[in-house]
Amino acid sequence: MSRITRPGQPRMVLGVRHVARRRSTATRLGRCMAIAVFAAACGDTPIEPDIPPPPPTLDAVLRQQIGQWGVVPILPVPSQSPALVQLGQSLMFDKLLSGNRDVSCATCHDPARQGADGLSLAIGTGGTGEGAARVTGTGRPFVSRNATSLLNVGLGPTYLFWDARLSQHGVFGPPPLGVPVAPLPPPGGFTHPQNVADALVSQAFVPVLSREEMRGRAGDVDRFGNPNELALIPDDKPEEVWRAVMRRVLAVPEYVTRFQAAFPSVPVQSFSFEHAARAIAAFETTAYTKAASPFDRYLARDDNALTPAAKRGATLFFGEARCASCHFGALLGGQRFANAGVPQLGPGSGKGAPLDRGVGDVIGQPHYQFAFRVPTLRNVELTAPYMHNGAYATLDAAVDHYRDVPKALREYDVSQLSPALRASYHGDEKTISAVLANLDFALRRPLPLTDADVSDLVAFLRSLTDPSARDLSGLVPASVPSGLPVGRQP
Amino acid sequence: MTVRVLPSRHPARAVVAGAFFQIFVALAGLAAPLAGQIISVKTVPIAQGDQFDFFPSRNQGMASVSIAIADTLLDPFSNPAKASRIKGSHFFGSPTFFSVSSNAGGGRTLPITALARSGALFGGAGLAFQEIDAAQRADFQQFAPSPDFPTVGNEKHHNRYGFAMLGRAFSSAGVSVAASLFGAGLEAVDGVDLLYGGSQAVGQRGQQMDVRIGALKEWSDARSLEAVVVHNRYRSVHDVTYADWFWDPATRTTVPRPRVEHNLDRTNTSGVHLAYVQPIAGSAWRVGGLLTANRLTHPKIPNYEIMNIPRDPGHSEALNVGVGVSKMQAGSTFGLDMIYEPIRTATWAEAAGPIQGASGAMIPSGGKTIENRFRFSNALVRIGVGQEVKSADGKSDAGFQIGLAMRAINYRLRQDDNVAGSVRHLNEQWTEWTPTWGTSFRLPHLELRYRGRLTTGTGRPGVSRSDRFIAGDRAASAPSIVAAPSGPLTLDEVRVTTHQLSISFPIR
Repeated sequence: MSRITRPGQPRMVLGVRHVARRRSTATRLGRCMAIAVFAAACGDTPIEPDIPPPPPTLDAVLRQQIGQWGVVPILPVPSQSPALVQLGQSLMFDKLLSGNRDVSCATCHDPARQGADGLSLAIGTGGTGEGAARVTGTGRPFVSRNATSLLNVGLGPTYLFWDARLSQHGVFGPPPLGVPVAPLPPPGGFTHPQNVADALVSQAFVPVLSREEMRGRAGDVDRFGNPNELALIPDDKPEEVWRAVMRRVLAVPEYVTRFQAAFPSVPVQSFSFEHAARAIAAFETTAYTKAASPFDRYLARDDNALTPAAKRGATLFFGEARCASCHFGALLGGQRFANAGVPQLGPGSGKGAPLDRGVGDVIGQPHYQFAFRVPTLRNVELTAPYMHNGAYATLDAAVDHYRDVPKALREYDVSQLSPALRASYHGDEKTISAVLANLDFALRRPLPLTDADVSDLVAFLRSLTDPSARDLSGLVPASVPSGLPVGRQP
Repeated sequence: MTVRVLPSRHPARAVVAGAFFQIFVALAGLAAPLAGQIISVKTVPIAQGDQFDFFPSRNQGMASVSIAIADTLLDPFSNPAKASRIKGSHFFGSPTFFSVSSNAGGGRTLPITALARSGALFGGAGLAFQEIDAAQRADFQQFAPSPDFPTVGNEKHHNRYGFAMLGRAFSSAGVSVAASLFGAGLEAVDGVDLLYGGSQAVGQRGQQMDVRIGALKEWSDARSLEAVVVHNRYRSVHDVTYADWFWDPATRTTVPRPRVEHNLDRTNTSGVHLAYVQPIAGSAWRVGGLLTANRLTHPKIPNYEIMNIPRDPGHSEALNVGVGVSKMQAGSTFGLDMIYEPIRTATWAEAAGPIQGASGAMIPSGGKTIENRFRFSNALVRIGVGQEVKSADGKSDAGFQIGLAMRAINYRLRQDDNVAGSVRHLNEQWTEWTPTWGTSFRLPHLELRYRGRLTTGTGRPGVSRSDRFIAGDRAASAPSIVAAPSGPLTLDEVRVTTHQLSISFPIR
């Protein structure tokens, strides 16, 4: 029913505005006059009391919710130089960048698995096999966290890495564009590259430093039996590692050619790892930006793009289920960190090992113990397993976790982990209590979600999938300049 | 002015039901200010400016009572045959000013008209120039000036009107027949910009044409019968610029981008009007009746919803049945009109492509996905009195008028969603009150009139400053402002005030 408000009347905003009743004495008088004058004529259409307005349509509710959470369509990413992208592709797939020449970036960020590896915890250098069949090398641990999918990393999530150690905007506020990224104090004495304004570029500096991921241990030999010179560099000299990697790369004539093509104004002697990182970031941005999902079409005003179940799930997501309190913005995440009460498993990280205290260890604030970056949910259907350590194997299980987080944590089903990881689950009461102590406020109360609600939420999450992200096999190059095997090649 | 926009579930099914009425109502003041040759329809109590209410009138200070009392100034514009009552040739000018409170609109019009008679022939022509002020919107968010976002502020728009008529009187039979042609070039219809909530700019351009053929039969005993056939065509384009927000990966910020919607507004109206008046023997009383029938087709209705709807046709059938009485005695005038107004309106949304209906059958492209059926049962009561006092020499007089009009609107809406298989019902009713007043001074060769009117009980969306705190919400779901059936439509109460100063004098 339409209403007229007068100045000074209070209003509320709750989906739709509640306004004062407009039917005034004058209105009633007018109706009475009309009825009196035209009683006969109006006899078959008695004026009835107001009836409640029809309930808002699902789309009306959803679109209002979406607007409240800053969820907007995404513009295309800036075009990149083809030579730069090609160079980045080569570097991404070239095992030359790893100390033992046995893993590349793409080993854990495999196009066949949508830029991830399908494992709960990544397996770096020394591991064998691919995907779910990949196993750790003898005596080598799992990497402490799940390999993040590269899908849409080029869209500018605020935080990179599960412990949010890299930020586009510093820790708690956005600096002017162009100002070098202010990284969080990194664990392990890592010194961040200077004068790098893009967090995605900065990100590429990190894995080559990690002994578990790419660099290897002192004394390792590479796939050809040669000493791993990268592993011999002390941990507190990351610049030497990056220079050593570049010495390897630029020793390959084809790479020199490709660097010159990508950076024509840069002398060969000036090429540094930053140039390699820029190329890798350019490739990631170009190849892994997938934002043409049904939900994106819905944002572009196509009401047909979502199924009714997905719309119901979306209204829960942005409403009653409170998912959007963390997963907000255009990327539906990536803009804050939170303690979601995720079961602890794996070798742990930093000072808290064998636990992984995430952001709390990085910034040294107890309030953020066990908090991790809130991931973007775009294409989430394709990036199982879920959480910072892959604790949940399926999307349904991950969503179900949020119905009652404390209960889910205490009753965690370890059987969904690979056998090699089950023993690393930390299900003791002390750990659980520690995790729950700083649980995000939005998750402390159980959510009254039915099984049907969970199903609808999952339907919505599936609507975030860009169909073109389902098969990224075309991203794998036939070969790389070093001549090392690519992808599944031994 | 009326807006009732039903929510859309998907592009093919979004429904706009009633937006077209806005123009009908707005033009009603021009095309049929009194007798209702063109019937106005409203589905929400949105305020209509008096943009088209600028022709001179003798009775508008008396709430425009007209059924049983002649309005010799205005009648020729309603029924051109009534210009036969003009004695000699006259010039009319009626500068008119109207304003909507809360800075929600306003304008000024300068019409000049001449009517002449030569023997059995009579005719006339007129022009009007009009300036319309843009409404000040509380929810408006101006971005940095750029070619993408036209600057919206205090700009003014100009409309031009032209009128011509020609008729012949058959004195022996007491019959007059005449035809009139009215045309308008419109840059703005007052209040339209407010109907596109959240928009950055609304550019309007349109035309209107109104053709009438009228006949008047007058008997020697003061009885009269009139008939009018009218055809009215309205065409308008609304170029609406919205600011859509996007995530820009390059800057990692949310940025606005313009989106321009071209909304067509087209309506064809055909109608007939009959009116009969006779005196009551042995008294100063007169009694009259009228019957008006309109058939309106809407090949294109503006899209006020967030979704861009390619087509939203509809049609209406409207009737006015009214009776009136008047008494004129010793310089006193009393008039009372009572009109009952049943209207049936149907609008629907057409499927842009095949879509499965609730019954399981496919709705083909162009099939009806949502159907809206309005049933109106409106009433209009006008009452007015006036008193004229002659000078001692009897050559001049002065007078005053007061009046009150009450318009009660009541309708039921049934909405059938043929895709979801659901049915909704909605009842709506409200009353608008319009007190009027006026004074007149008639000299031997000059007649001056002032009349004013104030309409209350209506509102406009998005003009209240108290709304500022919800501007973001309004912008985010901007068109929901007028998506009434998906929630209460909020209108900020406004008052429409009109002042008109009319002057007429004989040309020779």
